[in-house]
Amino acid sequence: MVISPVQYIAIPLIAAFLIPLFGKLNKELVRIIPGLVLLYLSYISVVLMNQVISQNTMIVEIIAGWRPPWGINLVFSPFSGFLASLFSMLGFIIWMYTYNFKREVEDAQTEKFYVLMMMLITGTIGIVLTGDIFNMFVFLEITAISAYSLTAFYRERDGAEAAFKYLLVGSFASFFILLAIVLLYSQVGTLNMADIAQKMPDVNPYMKGVILMLFFVGFGIEAEMFPLNGWAPDVYTQAPGPIGAIFAGMVVKAGIYGLVRVIFTLFDVHEIFPLLMIMGVITMAVSEVIALRQGKLKRMLAYSSIGQMGLVLVAFGIGTHEAVFAAIFLMFNHAVIKSLLFLSGTYLVYHSKEKNISDLDGIGKSLPFTSFLFALGSLAIVGLPPFAGFWSKLYILMAAADVRLIAVIAIILAVSVVEIVYYFRVLHRIYFRERISTIEIKIPSFNAKISMLILAIVIIVIGVYPDLISGLIERAATDLLDKQHYIQSVLSVGLH
Amino acid sequence: MNSLILLLILMFGGALFAFILNKFVPALRDIFVVLLMLGVSYLFFSTGISNRLNFDVLGIHMQWGFTSASYLFGIIVVVLGSLALIYSTAYMKGKDRLGYFYMNFLFSIGAMLGILMSRDLISLFFFWEIMTWSSYFIVIYSGNDVDRRGLKYMIFSAIGAYSMLMAIVIVNSFIGSFLLEDVFASIFAIGSGYQIAIAILLMIGFGVKSAMMPLHVWAPRAYSESPMSYTAVFSGALSKMGVFGFALVLFNLVSTQNWLINEVVAWLAAITSVLATFYAVIQSDAKKLLAYSSIAQIGYIIIGLASNTYLGVMAGLFLAVLHAVFKSTLFMAVGAVERQVGTTDMTKISGLIRRMPWTFVATLISIIALAGLPPLGGFVGKWMLYEALITSGHYYLVIMVFLSSTAAFLYSYRILFGMFLGQEEPEFAHVKEAPLSMLIPMLILSGISVLSGSHPGFILEPIQSAMASFGFQSNLPHESWWELTVLFNTWGDKVALVNVLTSIVGVFLIALAFITIKGYKNQRYVTTKDISSSGEIIQPEDNMTFQIDFYKPFERAIWPLLKRKIDDYYTDFGKGLEALFDFVRRFYNGNGQFYAIYVMAFLALLLIAGTKYFGF
Repeated sequence: MVISPVQYIAIPLIAAFLIPLFGKLNKELVRIIPGLVLLYLSYISVVLMNQVISQNTMIVEIIAGWRPPWGINLVFSPFSGFLASLFSMLGFIIWMYTYNFKREVEDAQTEKFYVLMMMLITGTIGIVLTGDIFNMFVFLEITAISAYSLTAFYRERDGAEAAFKYLLVGSFASFFILLAIVLLYSQVGTLNMADIAQKMPDVNPYMKGVILMLFFVGFGIEAEMFPLNGWAPDVYTQAPGPIGAIFAGMVVKAGIYGLVRVIFTLFDVHEIFPLLMIMGVITMAVSEVIALRQGKLKRMLAYSSIGQMGLVLVAFGIGTHEAVFAAIFLMFNHAVIKSLLFLSGTYLVYHSKEKNISDLDGIGKSLPFTSFLFALGSLAIVGLPPFAGFWSKLYILMAAADVRLIAVIAIILAVSVVEIVYYFRVLHRIYFRERISTIEIKIPSFNAKISMLILAIVIIVIGVYPDLISGLIERAATDLLDKQHYIQSVLSVGLH
Repeated sequence: MNSLILLLILMFGGALFAFILNKFVPALRDIFVVLLMLGVSYLFFSTGISNRLNFDVLGIHMQWGFTSASYLFGIIVVVLGSLALIYSTAYMKGKDRLGYFYMNFLFSIGAMLGILMSRDLISLFFFWEIMTWSSYFIVIYSGNDVDRRGLKYMIFSAIGAYSMLMAIVIVNSFIGSFLLEDVFASIFAIGSGYQIAIAILLMIGFGVKSAMMPLHVWAPRAYSESPMSYTAVFSGALSKMGVFGFALVLFNLVSTQNWLINEVVAWLAAITSVLATFYAVIQSDAKKLLAYSSIAQIGYIIIGLASNTYLGVMAGLFLAVLHAVFKSTLFMAVGAVERQVGTTDMTKISGLIRRMPWTFVATLISIIALAGLPPLGGFVGKWMLYEALITSGHYYLVIMVFLSSTAAFLYSYRILFGMFLGQEEPEFAHVKEAPLSMLIPMLILSGISVLSGSHPGFILEPIQSAMASFGFQSNLPHESWWELTVLFNTWGDKVALVNVLTSIVGVFLIALAFITIKGYKNQRYVTTKDISSSGEIIQPEDNMTFQIDFYKPFERAIWPLLKRKIDDYYTDFGKGLEALFDFVRRFYNGNGQFYAIYVMAFLALLLIAGTKYFGF
């Protein structure tokens, strides 16, 4: 079979709908099929990334024979390809973790879980790969709907409430983005992103501003920007653990991709960059500060995740090449590290009803391996060397210093101190308190341990030798900033 | 492979291996860590200072290699590290989480070597942070009150490290390079406001590690509650990283126009040394006493460095080396008492001199070095410091140093008396001398203290080359100025003092041995008749040694100074912040309708503001 980016969408989507059928054949297939699909996606990621990087091009895939700007096309550029590869590989690792997760739930539920998870991953990969703005909206909806359902997966009151909040705010996002697309179409008469970008200078500036603001708010909701992120903490808390990892590692990243693609490629409004940066600073400061006062582990992780997204927005808002590099690097690091924290944290509070941090007292003795990985993740997320988080933070600070944003540097660093405080408080509880709670302890299954170990190894290896991945990120940053190259590559496809 | 990389791989890989080894073959752990450290020391001494390693990470150019300056500090690190690990094998015997302990121990020593070999700011910071978290994990090892004590250390370290990082990125944005030589070469080309800001930010970072007031509040408990085998390294070597950093900043990044910075640093250091000495005097726990004394001693060192005279800097570095030697001996001795007796509370212990004579000898020698009495090295260092301060006209600083070192006699005597002298208690009759693997490191270090008095040249010679590599050129007439063992008398004759000094030291040692042996044999018990007992009947076994409220009058005299601790201000500030954070938290009230309103309001705001500010 010829490898092409279409398979990123087609295969998991087909697999998602076939999972119930396979379930009729053999119950175990329900759990195995997603893994095979994600493994294949990881494989094609390696092949395609290799092709893109070595040939210094981007792969533009025409669907149904209509060449751009008329048909829908997928763009596997260094940036979108990097994220798609990250999502597939992270998806595979998270699948490995889920393989024996919650064995006790009924089979119908398991089927639903995997169907929704495959749809969620398809949606996020679709958002980053598509070259068509309306198509992006469709994938956003796929992502959103499966995310709503997964939030309420345990069918409890709190889960339903969280899902409802998510639905409420998420429907605003959908509405604003759709409205923006409609207005944009009325102005430029095309839905192809490259074509829009080319025709953007002709748009009436007032209209342009309104459309941009609608996009900004719409994608801002998905990217968990303050004050649009009220839904996020509840969702992270209520969703099953591995799904929390997917939210932090992929769904938010897809939202941020949408935001920056619109800002960097579609529009030519430079005034938006300071706004993006300021919103990033506020998001970061507010949510890290709130994280300090949380009593529940997953809520704390959720706020910390939002804070990191704020930092990503700051870096994108600075907008220099160095800053964009740092932002993408941080997206990668955060995806890996926060997934590790969610995955290991889930086992730390596995049987706890309230998921309180105080339930973690002294758990380090009973769950040494999981606690150790959680500790490692904590050190990494606050940006201590020699772990991966350090380099991305350093680059963001360097980028901020180069444009003399001294106040921003000071805020980022002050917030980092807050981050250290709340993560280390948890570590103190894990290791230096006596265990008093009688909550039963769940030992992670072997495959879960392996998946967490892989993430931990990635964190250490990237931390000690960041150049392993910096080449890819460098190309991704160049790709995002080089708008003309994007337009030319997409619009020239199929001309010959 | 380059020996610098090999050094780090051995340290960090060995640390991880020690952790794993402890899981499977705990019996081999102690031998492994000691052999590893000795091997690393050998490698360190064979590396030398000419070795340079250049490489790029993420497009940042980095350089590793020792200079004479960092080599001097490196010697402290490896010598103390090796001895402390040998000591540790006995001291830590039977405690749990030893894999964790040794892993972090070796990590922090490796990180210190990494700091010293860094020739660029990024690797410096990289290793600095590793040093911070690994030492933090040992600080919380004992597990009591980690939320306050451990977090305090971590928060202050983080504030310090992040101000350093801020300075580093700002420097880079001007100069475009992180290499120390580039930074030193072009720092004075940038605006003077930024210059001062960079120097101050860096010194906040280094000041935290060297526990300078007002950034010292983490230190007393962190020093006193870590295992003593680590505190020996913590106070002896790790705090010297701060001193090393101060030297880098003061000599290379502060221009002579900004002499005020030097003055401020010197005064802060002087206040540190006076107040910390006062605190040390009123402590009744030997560990805390030594912790405060460490803070005070580093004050002298920094006064010396900030005095910006050749002699003063030399005195500062000499005291730095010497402090590493005697203070780690003292921490080891106190650790030995702690292990053999079970407490370090000086109101409880007394009369251990016959039970632990060798520990007493080590303590005595170190105390003499600490107090600055002739003929040991402390005297040499203090003399140089006084002379430097007087000749450069810092009379008020001299008064401060004099005040603090006089008060230091009080606590020096206290520690000697409190633990070793006084009447023997029957409950300590079973106490035995510490095991040999604890005594040998202490006695080796005491030997170095003695040598530092008779032959200070062997320390001053490397210091002189270190100063040259710090960028401090000698402008003095004598070529070998460090050769304090030569006296030029008024007739121009050269008198070799070596013989004189060695004979003084010899007499001193013989006298010491004589007194010790004599005292050992003829201990006189104070009979009840000697004491006024106000009618109470005193049994012969009652201990009449004066121990509680030892320096009460002194405490009363200095009380106004110590009434309001700076620690309380930090605590209040922290509480205020938490209250503020709680207020911010109310934004997320859990109500979905509010969240929807936020979205609409934000969009409305953007659209309104957008027409105004974004020009559409």
